[in-house]
Amino acid sequence: MHIYAFGSICRGDISLGSDIDLLAIVEEYDPRISPDTFSIYSYKRIKELWQEGNPFAWHLSLEARLIFASDRTDYLELLGSPKKYTKCVQDCEKFFSLFQEAHTSIIKGSNSIVFDFSIVFLSIRNIATCFSLGVNGHPNFSRNSALCLASNSIPLNLGLYQILERARILCTRGYGEKLTDDEINTTIQGLSEIHEWMHDLVEKAKAHE
Amino acid sequence: MNEFSNRISAQRCILQVVNRKRWEKEELLGLSSKAIERWISVNQINPSCYLVELIKTASTQLFFLANKSQEQISEDYKMISQEISNISKEIELEVTC
Repeated sequence: MHIYAFGSICRGDISLGSDIDLLAIVEEYDPRISPDTFSIYSYKRIKELWQEGNPFAWHLSLEARLIFASDRTDYLELLGSPKKYTKCVQDCEKFFSLFQEAHTSIIKGSNSIVFDFSIVFLSIRNIATCFSLGVNGHPNFSRNSALCLASNSIPLNLGLYQILERARILCTRGYGEKLTDDEINTTIQGLSEIHEWMHDLVEKAKAHE
Repeated sequence: MNEFSNRISAQRCILQVVNRKRWEKEELLGLSSKAIERWISVNQINPSCYLVELIKTASTQLFFLANKSQEQISEDYKMISQEISNISKEIELEVTC
């Protein structure tokens, strides 16, 4: 078994709302490893991610820090660099589509609007991460990757962005102040701007390919 | 449609079914264990009732959706669509009765 830390704790960009991302790589089911605490992967799947040049493989390769190794080796380091990331357009389209589904749900009067906002935030973050890896050449795996794309950063009012981030933390960690009606209404008005930004990233990724 | 999007849709469906009922203080925000704990606590719901049990089962099935974000890029687990669909129907019955 190998255990790694990754994410904000390895980058040093921790905040009060930060959790600690832990990866466990295991041969088989291990009752000591709780999915509440760990992202759990088999060795086989990790190798596949490396072969695919998957963004998560790149994330681990560039940021993960070994905490425990039953065989005293750094398994991820021994794998070397993942293959080149080649699915940028496909992934950007996937997260754009995910955003559009959440947007549609919100427009239809969702009774779970905070969840839909959290998916909007997830889409923003993941499309930005994929774009940074596939197009920018400066991979950014942080929660705020969408703010770190230089001229391609999300052109959204920071207050609105932070409401979406709050929604994400509420839905995943159950932590934070409930959104007010005013915050919800203001955020809905910003969704078309996000749509335009994502569409632009997809087009730029296609042009880069 | 890819598995990842299907799993997000499944989570949305379950939340929409649960939130058809107007909860006293706050809707169920997500299917992570911490979001479920918050919903139980804020609305003073009996933590051992059948509805909570069903939601926790759905949460277990869709855990990686509800709680993590990085590995979602990796399209990792197989969709357990029939099970989720059955749980969703049971939740609907519990919420409406």
